[in-house]
This record gives sequence, structure tokens and C-alpha cells, in this order.
Amino acid sequence: MAKLKIRRNPTRRYEAVYIIDSAIEDAAILEKLDKLQSLLNLATPAEIEHWGRRQLAYKIGRHETGYYAIARFETTTAVLPEFERALKLDEGIIRYLISLAEHELGAPKLSDEELASRRRAGDDDDDDED
Amino acid sequence: MRRQKKPCPITEAGIRYVDYKDDRLLARFITDYGKILPSRLSGVDARHQRQLSKAVKKARFLALLPYVKGQTG
Repeated sequence: MAKLKIRRNPTRRYEAVYIIDSAIEDAAILEKLDKLQSLLNLATPAEIEHWGRRQLAYKIGRHETGYYAIARFETTTAVLPEFERALKLDEGIIRYLISLAEHELGAPKLSDEELASRRRAGDDDDDDED
Repeated sequence: MRRQKKPCPITEAGIRYVDYKDDRLLARFITDYGKILPSRLSGVDARHQRQLSKAVKKARFLALLPYVKGQTG
């Protein structure tokens, strides 16, 4: 992750999760995401991770599934209010969350060896049983 | 007699900062009704418990986790 630089017009790293209406076709979703990122005037294009269609944990309005996409980008704080307004007005977006990405999330990927040694340790907190 | 302290499962998993998008991890730290499990039961250390609590709340907003489990709609 890029280190934060102190500048007069500081940029910060953000992570946005969009939940898009799953009734929209894939091509249209991609186009929509492109259009959204273009609103941000990014220096480097956003890194987009697609989760695809997913069951929602609860119904949001009439929606039971949603297309999840995650975008990571670095931008100035000033463009965000306008960006959020556009997100709110977009009927195709069921929900979105923009948060600061200042920490490396999760754990570094484990090697198979580490996984095996963890399994051998057999801790009693293992809740993975189905 | 003091009970031995449980090791923090999140530290053990090598997690620096809890990811709100990792619903499978977060699901281990909520009760059957969807409440956040107290750290005295899960053994999560205070730093990770604070992160966990924020992460669960974000995940709920994003419909990755239910606000209340075991009800429909």
C-alpha cells in the first residue's frame, strides 16, 4: 500500500463496495462501474474486484441478491461528496459503502505448509466444523 | 485459581487488521442470533475485538451478515 503523503491537497486510499441490482446484465454492470470510476478523475485506474452475484443476508427492499463489486482507489477527499450523490441517485445501485483503506486487511496468504502445521496444532477454538 | 488465558484466535490466524468483507471469518464471532460474541467467550484480544466489532457492523450494512439471524425477510 502506498504511504500517505502530507500535501496541501492530500489524497487518501479508499475502498468502495457497491451492491448492484443483480437483474442488470453483466455488460451493463461493467459499463456502470466504468462510468462511476470516471466520475472520480483518478490518476491511476481503480482496482476492481468482482464478487459477482451473491445472496444478501437479508432482503433490501425487493432485492434478495446483489452483484458485489469492490473498487480500491486513491483520490482527494473533495470529490467524494459529489461521487456519493451520484451513487445515491443511481437506481441500479442497491447499496454502497466507501471506507478508508488505511490498513492492510486480513492476513497474508498462508502457505500450504503453514496451514498443515496449524491443523496439526488442533486448537480447540476451531469453529470450522459444519 | 486463574484459568489459563485463551490464545486470541484472530492473532493466531495471522490477521493484522480484521477485514469487514471476510464474512466467513466474522461469522465465527457472532452468536446464533447474530449478536457479536463477547471476547471473554471467544478469547479475542481487545485490539482485535474493537476491529471485529466495527467489521461486523460494516458487514451487516453490506448484507454480508444478518442483523438478526433466524428470521426470514
